[in-house]
Amino acid sequence: MNMELSRRSFMIGAGAGLAGTTIGALGFGEIEAAHALSIRPFKLAQTKEARSSCPYCAVCCGMMIFSAESKAEKGKMEVTHIEGDVDHPVNRGTLCPKGAGAIDYIRAKTRVKYPMYRKPGADKFERVSWDFAMDRIAKLMKDDRDANFVEKNRDGVTVNRWPTMAFLSGSSVTNETGWVTYKVSRGLGMLQIENQARI
Amino acid sequence: MSPVDTTEPDPSAIANIPKPPFVRLPHPSRMFATRAERFRTLAEGHDLKPYLLFLADLCAAQAAIQDGLPKLAPLDAAVLARAREHKMPPLDRGHFTADPAFEAPFSRLIAAAEQMTMPAVAQAALLRVKAADAAAREGMVQNVLAEAIPVEALAEHVFVAAALQVHFARLAERLPGREMESVGDGVCPSCGGAPASTLLVSWPPPAGARYCSCSLCGTMWNHLRSKCTLCGSTSKIAFQEIEGTGGTIKAETCEDCHGYMKMMNQQNDRFLDPIADDVATLGLDLLVRELGFRRGGINPFLIGY
Repeated sequence: MNMELSRRSFMIGAGAGLAGTTIGALGFGEIEAAHALSIRPFKLAQTKEARSSCPYCAVCCGMMIFSAESKAEKGKMEVTHIEGDVDHPVNRGTLCPKGAGAIDYIRAKTRVKYPMYRKPGADKFERVSWDFAMDRIAKLMKDDRDANFVEKNRDGVTVNRWPTMAFLSGSSVTNETGWVTYKVSRGLGMLQIENQARI
Repeated sequence: MSPVDTTEPDPSAIANIPKPPFVRLPHPSRMFATRAERFRTLAEGHDLKPYLLFLADLCAAQAAIQDGLPKLAPLDAAVLARAREHKMPPLDRGHFTADPAFEAPFSRLIAAAEQMTMPAVAQAALLRVKAADAAAREGMVQNVLAEAIPVEALAEHVFVAAALQVHFARLAERLPGREMESVGDGVCPSCGGAPASTLLVSWPPPAGARYCSCSLCGTMWNHLRSKCTLCGSTSKIAFQEIEGTGGTIKAETCEDCHGYMKMMNQQNDRFLDPIADDVATLGLDLLVRELGFRRGGINPFLIGY
């Protein structure tokens, strides 16, 4: 739906040489043209607003994440501000102090952006690939499970427990992720599953 | 809630996060006077000063003619119920005719406009509106309501649209706002009109919610932020602002429908008016248009952009 000039009339109007805007038609065409000229040197700046949910706890407050063109890196966007999402039914624009400070979490120099590995005996972390990290974790888990898995208890009842391993999962996850978390960890025999579902 | 002088914990206050009301109905007695004031403020030092002052006078006329207007016929409960049942706007612009109730605001506005100073072409257009017979007037009313203005008569339709704004604001004011529901994205729940622009309101609860403002009746209705008011898409939304203006007024562009709608942040400036500031930020329209976006906001004082 748009208040557009009707096409048939526009053809007639163009033939008669009339101005095509309200401002011009009311006799203010000169200042309209002058304004159009004076605005030319100005430039537009692009910003974005994205929805997300707060990463801290299981309340899952809605966040609006504002970004603008980065001054440091040309052509990239940069987060400039975070506030509560007014449209979100959970928090209606509010955020707790942790959520309200989330921008510092994004900009923190100590933020971990890649898998990091500290070798046994080493004194610092080094960056490694995801493949390396996944293989290493899987290997250590397998070794531990092989060593400590309890298939039957003292009475000979099958229990399939892996008592030496625990699983810590995220809080702001969807049902589907929760389902997968449960299936993977329970399937392996883990007993301690934690979803950090509290503030 | 427990009284404030107790130390008892009161969990109910914690959960008391208000939901923004879906509809805010117009108050025509205040709306046009405030808008006239806003136009006057904006005119200071503006390139379009004469035009903004002309519109200030026109809005002042819209405000002034309301004193002692004949009472409107009472609302028809059956019409309201039917509209609600079928999710249609209760003010049916498709069946509106220039009835006797519209006659008074119309003739008063034309009379008030005659006292205004304006360029000769506008004066001539006003005289043509005044001289128009019933059929011609009806035609102009239908053009404004259909949001399709013939280019050879833009000036005439400004005066007709101004009179219709007063009439529809008065009609919308009496609607049962709390019972009203959405009739579709970007469609006024009172009269089915398109928004002139959108506001991030400063009034609680909760501040910062976004409202579309109807170009015809002035009803404001809640609309999700960062969601196109024209096509409802949320995937490719970006905002354009003129560098150095602090982001108070931005154009929300949508790559899906290639339209844009202005978004004004009343939290930065609580005097922002959805019609007046829309006209005064014509510069933003001119710049955004060069990016290839089509203007989505409808403003009877800014047709052709």
